[in-house]
Amino acid sequence: MDHLPSPADLYEDAPCGLLVTDRDGTIQRVNRTMGSWTGYRPDELIGRTVQSLMTMGARIFHQTHWAPLLQLQGSVSEVKLDIIHRDGQVKPVMVNAIRRTENGFVRHELAMFMAQERHLYERELVASRKRAEQILQKEREAQAALAATEEALNLERDRARDRAAFAEQLIGIVSHDLRNPLAAIAMSTALIGSDPLTSRQKRSLQTIGSAAGRATHLIADLLDYTRTRLGTGVSAVLAECDLHQLVAGGLDELRTVFPLHALIHQRTGAGSGMFDAHRIVQLLGNLVSNAATHGAPSAPITITSRTDAVESGLSVHNMGPAIPMAQRPQLFEAMTRGASVSDRATHSVGLGLFIAREIVRAHGGTMTVSSTTDTGTTFSATFPQERRPLG
Amino acid sequence: MTVQRRNNVHVTGSGPTTMVFAHGFGCDQNMWRFLAPRFSEQFTVVAFDLVGSGHSDLAAYDYAKYDSLAGYADDLIEIVDEFANGPVIFVGHSVGAMIGVLADLKGPQRFKAHIMVGPSPSFINDGDYVGGFNRSDIDSLLETLEGNYLGWSSTMAPAIMGAPSQPDLSDELSNSFCATDPDIAKHFARVTFLADHRREVAELQTRALLIQCSEDLLAPLSVGQYLKEHMPNATLAVVENVGHCPHMSAPGLSTDAMNAFISTL
Repeated sequence: MDHLPSPADLYEDAPCGLLVTDRDGTIQRVNRTMGSWTGYRPDELIGRTVQSLMTMGARIFHQTHWAPLLQLQGSVSEVKLDIIHRDGQVKPVMVNAIRRTENGFVRHELAMFMAQERHLYERELVASRKRAEQILQKEREAQAALAATEEALNLERDRARDRAAFAEQLIGIVSHDLRNPLAAIAMSTALIGSDPLTSRQKRSLQTIGSAAGRATHLIADLLDYTRTRLGTGVSAVLAECDLHQLVAGGLDELRTVFPLHALIHQRTGAGSGMFDAHRIVQLLGNLVSNAATHGAPSAPITITSRTDAVESGLSVHNMGPAIPMAQRPQLFEAMTRGASVSDRATHSVGLGLFIAREIVRAHGGTMTVSSTTDTGTTFSATFPQERRPLG
Repeated sequence: MTVQRRNNVHVTGSGPTTMVFAHGFGCDQNMWRFLAPRFSEQFTVVAFDLVGSGHSDLAAYDYAKYDSLAGYADDLIEIVDEFANGPVIFVGHSVGAMIGVLADLKGPQRFKAHIMVGPSPSFINDGDYVGGFNRSDIDSLLETLEGNYLGWSSTMAPAIMGAPSQPDLSDELSNSFCATDPDIAKHFARVTFLADHRREVAELQTRALLIQCSEDLLAPLSVGQYLKEHMPNATLAVVENVGHCPHMSAPGLSTDAMNAFISTL
């Protein structure tokens, strides 16, 4: 066993700094390793406090943390702190310490390990952790911003829903509360018309009938427009019916509404097909109203209904100035035609053609217009006979 | 969140007068375990953890509220109002003592007396005033706290084989004493060591006992002298002890000084 160092040498040159202090930290024994790490001879360290070898931060930490801990717990391990070499150099060390009581005397036994490399590595870890925390923080902030946006969106959606609900209420009011009095006016007008009247009375009655008719159409258009805006759109319930008859019936009513225009009905083909009768009458009303409003005053309006094996169609023709090219792209959009000052005088809100196109679409058809000064203006709805209804 | 849960309040003993114990920077109310029981026969003893320390509710740690000692003083007032009976003797260690001063100045006559263990109104040297530290020392402390950032939990657990057993200490305790969230520890360190309450201590009319250690890095004798001179109603008792925690390392001498003071109240 000669080749093994004696316990004394083992202690003195152990690969760690070893110290024994009293309860206050005064060094009572210290090995050579500790001496060489601090630049002092062991005998120079005896009587000094171990705290005096530490940086100020380490001393405060010692006082506030590990001294109380050592007393209560009996040991501390892996405390990291900085010691100061005689030449002023600061060295990071790890410290383990045990508190022992013997014959009423308290002593602390400390082992210190150099932690230079570990210190650098830990610095890196701490820095990485900080970076990760910063990224996490940013992520949290982004999440919070997203949540705030979502909340604002939800709020907006709720408001939109409220508005939609209000609009639907309005539809109810318009459809019920306004239609009923208009129906009463129309019926009374018809009743009065069956009695003998002076020519002045007849004209007044005609005006009343015409106004009531326009109002009814306007309400229907408004309802449909609102439904379209709400996303429910214009729907068509198709049933086997006779297009010619539908048009003829509709024109009878329209003649009282537009007494200044001759409404000429032309028919081609057998007339039968799949249509939504109510919608076709509405479509007819809108196209005739458009012709009466924008066409030449007092000129006849020609309405053509046609059916054949492949398709059916409804067109309305009037003479008058051509529709300006610039207006044509938006012709079927809501509230575009009525936007000009001259149109405002006609009290049109510009929904007629929009609704007309929606009705045709609901039938799976297409709506076209041709307009020249020489030949006049024709709006044509074309429906395929084999059709899949939309909407 | 109850005050009890927030501050981990423990009430022991009974008596017509209540002693409220507040710990300082570093550990928690277990610091009082060698001292407080000595008073529980005659007094109602209330001990608690500052929010951010020990078993307080860490979720209650609001960085804005606890950015000054005033936030802790508000908590102390709530604790006194809820748990104290009769006259209150407040016992505060280090920064805890300053929190007591701030709480006293906030409210009307809540405290009958203060026992301030190792107090310091300001740690930073300023002109003629010797607090004991420079700004760079505090930065050095923050660095040390940072250095124990990664291993803070293992640091605080008793891990050395062959360490003498400590019958005093339950396992549950050993894991929490001195351990806390490292970010909170750093924030609390900054608030503690950069606070300056020299003006407030001079306004404290309530009677106060200053227990000063003969050798204390954090509160040198000069600070004790300063307080005795500047506080209107303070008595200074110097206890033979090296360190900042006479209530732990010299509980007998500390108790004697406290009893002598209490008997004069």
